[in-house]
Amino acid sequence: MTHLKASLLAGTAFAVALTGAVAAQDVPREDTVIFDIDRTIRDPENFNPFTPGVKRQHGAHQTMWEPLFILNYESGEIEPWLATSFESNDAQDEWTVTLRDGVTWSDGETFDADDVIFSINMALENEGLSEREPATIRAQVASVEKVDDLTVTFSLNSSNPRFILENFANRIFGSFLIMPEHVWSQAGDPATFAFNPPIGTGPYTMTSMATNRAIWDRNDDWWGAASGFMDLPEPMRVIFLESGGEENRAQLLVSNQMDAAQAVTLGTFEAMGFQNPNVIAWFNDLPYAWPDPCARQMEFNTTVAPWDNADMRRAVAMLIDRNQIVNVAYEGTTQPSRTMFVQYGAMDPFIDAVDSAGHAFSASADVEAAQALIEGMGYTMGSDGIYELNGEELTANIHVNSASSEYTRTIDVIVEQLNRAGVNARAVPVENSVFWGEVLPLGGYEMSYSWLSCGSVNEPWASMNRYTNASIAPIGERAPGFNNTGRWDTDATAAYTAIVQDMGTMAVGDPAIPAMVAEAHGYLSAEVPFVPLVQAAKLLPFNTTYWTGWPTAENNYNHPAFWWGSAHQIIHNLEKAE
Amino acid sequence: MGGIPSSYIVNRLITLVLTVWIAATLIWIIPRLSPVDPAEVMLGRMAAGGAFVEGSDLILEQLRERFGLNEPLWVQYLLYLRSIITFDFGLSAASFPTPVSSLIAQALPWTIGLMLLSVIITFIIGNALGAFMVWERTPRVWKVVIPSLMIFTAIPPILSGLLLMYVFAVQLRALPLTGAYGLTVEPGWTMEFALSVVEHGTLPALSIILVTFGFWTLGMRGLMITVQGEDYVNLAKAKGLKPRYILYKYMVRNAILPQVTAFALKIGLLVSGQILVERIFSYNGMGKLLYDAILDQDFAVIQGVSFIIILMTAISVFIVDLIYPLIDPRIRQATERTA
Repeated sequence: MTHLKASLLAGTAFAVALTGAVAAQDVPREDTVIFDIDRTIRDPENFNPFTPGVKRQHGAHQTMWEPLFILNYESGEIEPWLATSFESNDAQDEWTVTLRDGVTWSDGETFDADDVIFSINMALENEGLSEREPATIRAQVASVEKVDDLTVTFSLNSSNPRFILENFANRIFGSFLIMPEHVWSQAGDPATFAFNPPIGTGPYTMTSMATNRAIWDRNDDWWGAASGFMDLPEPMRVIFLESGGEENRAQLLVSNQMDAAQAVTLGTFEAMGFQNPNVIAWFNDLPYAWPDPCARQMEFNTTVAPWDNADMRRAVAMLIDRNQIVNVAYEGTTQPSRTMFVQYGAMDPFIDAVDSAGHAFSASADVEAAQALIEGMGYTMGSDGIYELNGEELTANIHVNSASSEYTRTIDVIVEQLNRAGVNARAVPVENSVFWGEVLPLGGYEMSYSWLSCGSVNEPWASMNRYTNASIAPIGERAPGFNNTGRWDTDATAAYTAIVQDMGTMAVGDPAIPAMVAEAHGYLSAEVPFVPLVQAAKLLPFNTTYWTGWPTAENNYNHPAFWWGSAHQIIHNLEKAE
Repeated sequence: MGGIPSSYIVNRLITLVLTVWIAATLIWIIPRLSPVDPAEVMLGRMAAGGAFVEGSDLILEQLRERFGLNEPLWVQYLLYLRSIITFDFGLSAASFPTPVSSLIAQALPWTIGLMLLSVIITFIIGNALGAFMVWERTPRVWKVVIPSLMIFTAIPPILSGLLLMYVFAVQLRALPLTGAYGLTVEPGWTMEFALSVVEHGTLPALSIILVTFGFWTLGMRGLMITVQGEDYVNLAKAKGLKPRYILYKYMVRNAILPQVTAFALKIGLLVSGQILVERIFSYNGMGKLLYDAILDQDFAVIQGVSFIIILMTAISVFIVDLIYPLIDPRIRQATERTA
């Protein structure tokens, strides 16, 4: 121990003795699990999950608030948690959810149908609750009724086979959270209610909050252990700590001051591995990273010549070498996309169906075939190696969000590939807010880097529905929900839409769906309104010094996104390292 | 006031108000030149998070209503002027519905504590070293050592921070890696908390001091060289005054005036914090608040922080303008003649 540290510790001990101040109850490091948060908790006094801000991912929806269901990304199953089952009527516009018996809030009050009814009605009646989840409830639910203390029935505005998945199963990031009626009914405006101190049904309660960390301590009276649903999780304390950036994450993991960190680059991960062999990731070897749900792609504005021609779009798709993007832009930490979908285990049947039908995209480029397509359109190669038609060069401006080097590096590789093949391409970096606020929704681009087919993780409809002709806005007007921003609207779109809309009425898991996916994807592959590029890489380091049982490709009880509401499963799976 | 004519004070006061008004107007206009408004930014953030945003048009309309974006521009401007007078900068878009003023109130003490301490230490060390570089009685070895310390000024604060972090936090484990106080320490008026704050503030402060003291040193050195050749210094030497007395009473006292002006400007700017230092040490002050707001496109917070920076700078300059005549009799005499 250095003199400095010794003096500081001595000083602290003296000060505590002097003032009589009592520190928060000490929990040994080996009983504490420390997660990373990548944002500041700007308002640590506010626990209203229905308004924007860091109000859930600081541990609240991973430890204190529990979901009704949790989607398993590997099996595709919706696993029960606070609820035990769900079923719909034949029209799938009425859904009945059965709640688990014996659930209590941490203050001892019973969790039952009244809480669900109250929470849903609160979302329906208060437009000020502006987060995605209450907004989705308002768009989909007409009314909710209590059948008995443990049963509620939702009446929807229209048929929706994915109602539970979209609202209550932690499909992406979180789900609609049920709030305690006995607390929220006393609040005034729910949009400004801070819900402090917060309570939940989870196995942890809030101990202390600050702008850079949240401390949650185990509630040994948790209903789940008492009712036999599940053992108490092993960690006595869960801390979510703002690390401050990649370099800090690395230092904290290397020095065992953190157990799970947000994404890092390959170089950082390898450097961490050299210094601390207990640091692991989803895969043991390259690509190491877990793919996040939003696979990367490149959109075409199908109203702008020459990209209004499907052959020209197909040519560009063939010029792109996805393997090279993986190797250069991602240093091997991801995989080429074969279809529009994220490549999770639950998506395999659909991806395989597209592949079997011959509609999957190749990982390597076919420059000769692409050039033949371009030349078939009348273009000739100029002396400078760029195609020309009627004296005009073939150019491609690719808009890219400049907020991350991941995006710009990918587009730089593509620009290089297109230039080498005779297309005078250039990247157009755009500031984040302009990119999401104007370029994409208004169709203000020729080509653009994006992940707009994001949505599907265990069924295909959510992603496929984003490219139908159901609501195509004119260029310059906002594309609803950021869907089909490239305004793909041909006969093929109509045929594609018909299949996808049929699919939309079918139950999740209907055996006819994979074949329909293959047929619909055939239109996408033929007309290429967007080019699937690569899977999105999230290289999440976990530290096994104090805790084992982290989610990995081998121990794949679910995905490793520990800032999502599904992280209850991660915490319950953690075991003390021996 | 201390013999300063009231017309001088009124002039400076008008300049202060004009400066603040023009700057406040500019920081209101600039975000509005962007083709997107905060409501669209919030919607874009939801979309960027993945998946389809159900009912996006309705959400957009509600957000515009909440932010008052449906009002005519001139109404928005007048409401803005009224609100900044009361330090009400509206609601944060990224931490909705938290008031920006409460975010600033939360961050400001941390930055003022860290920066004030760093700037004062840097000012004292930097000026002392600058003076000693010129003083003929300084030991020769120090005249070699001091300039070589200038190498630190070439290091960006983020790198010096990382270097210090690696040495003191990771290798020696002598000081903490991140945060403004201990992981399990509860904020409050306790010695434990105070010691924890000092312990956690040491590395960030040191990283600022290391890279910024050279600014003062080099500035002071230049000023001292000028002063060194002045007649009154030669006269003092001829009178046989002690060298140390000449250094403090004749050289430093005259050379320090422009440094005091620069110090006042630094005081004004210190509320903006050291963005990168605060970020790498996870020190939740104004710099990090501004950094996060820029990442989040949180215009209300950017405006609020910018306004506070401008206000503090303008007030600092105003105070220096008032103090200057008291420090330097020549200015007081010139002011009286003008009056």
